[in-house]
Amino acid sequence: MSEKLETYLDEIRDYLASSKEKQEIIAEIKSHIMEKTEQEFGEITEGTLEQIIAIYGSPRQVAEKYMDDYQIIAPTFKGYLLRYTAVLFAVHFTLTIVALIFKIRMLVLPFFYIPKMDNFQALFYFPMIFIYDLGLVGIILYYVTQSRKDVRLPWPKLKLNWQKISKSRQAKSKIIPLILMLMGYSALVWIYWRFDTLFFKTIDFQKTQSLLTPVASQWYSLALLALLGIGIIAYAIKFITTSEWVNLLRSALQLVILGIVINRPIDNPFLEFIYFDLQITANITITIIATLIAIDFLKSLIILGKKSLMKKTFP
Amino acid sequence: MAIDISPFATEMNRGFLQVLVLVLLEKNMYGYAMVKQLEEKGYTLEENTLYPLLRRLEKKGLIKGKWDVSKDRPRKFYVITKDGRTVRSQLLAIWRQQNDILNHLMEETQNV
Repeated sequence: MSEKLETYLDEIRDYLASSKEKQEIIAEIKSHIMEKTEQEFGEITEGTLEQIIAIYGSPRQVAEKYMDDYQIIAPTFKGYLLRYTAVLFAVHFTLTIVALIFKIRMLVLPFFYIPKMDNFQALFYFPMIFIYDLGLVGIILYYVTQSRKDVRLPWPKLKLNWQKISKSRQAKSKIIPLILMLMGYSALVWIYWRFDTLFFKTIDFQKTQSLLTPVASQWYSLALLALLGIGIIAYAIKFITTSEWVNLLRSALQLVILGIVINRPIDNPFLEFIYFDLQITANITITIIATLIAIDFLKSLIILGKKSLMKKTFP
Repeated sequence: MAIDISPFATEMNRGFLQVLVLVLLEKNMYGYAMVKQLEEKGYTLEENTLYPLLRRLEKKGLIKGKWDVSKDRPRKFYVITKDGRTVRSQLLAIWRQQNDILNHLMEETQNV
């Protein structure tokens, strides 16, 4: 067989990996290409085969035509993928926090195993359990799809008529997050006052162990409190005014604080070497936070620019 | 800017090609001969769409395929089955009805 045709068919075969009938499909395509080449050119050579292969389409395109009716997860079940993952992750997350606080390992048959770990191992464990939960739900939905049965997946129906929610309820819904924020912020201030740091190696309050040196603890904890404080004040000001300037000012002040943190790095802020260079992780985290705030800042600028343009155009 | 009608045409042709194949396979034919015959009648199709369609129809039992290995090169011949004929007559009835609806609608629109 021609080398070009062989390569072409091999590629199609690779794309058809999941098909049970790939040998038969490949035989059909081969027969057709050979037939067409002979009928149109009178002879089968590398050159004539190449021309017919080019017309027949790319290997991926050809393979996809055979998989038109093949679905990994049916469209009707796709909405459940993230919903179920969210529920499962919430359970998994809560159990992990419990395991972390009580310093125990946990086995929840048949799927969950939560090892004994410290806070920093947990930071890397959370994304891992999310991927695990997503995969688990994906596998279940795959089997439900392949069964081709009319399965109605359970999900609670929340009959909320959002249009009927009055303005007073909307105001209440803003006050509750503010109260929660203030409570959380007070708790953080108390923790800082009591332990001189917001960054712990362990959660055990009986024998707290700071992750950072005293200077770094003070520096980074105050920076974090300032960032959060500015956010809460801006949120509270929105009760009085909806001006976009509040958001702009908030992001600008937060960027200034992050700028100070980035421009005045502390040498060896960590008390001990844990697993790997945490300085890199800390820098990446600060960069991500700074990028998100910068995006917010630009968004506010664009909104203000648009409003000013509208005022000029339609005074 | 000219609108690319190919996605709409592909969508429209999908069902039509199915009926054409069921009509064509009243006699034993292999893939390439089908493509040629359709081309002679003025119907051009992407060749890589014919074989997946034949496979789907074969799976549903509307056509039957058989490899002929008596010649130098093996060829797969297809022919319509009893179930295929039943489906074909129903599809043709639907197609005629759709045609009538379309003609009526076009007439009405022109009279407005």
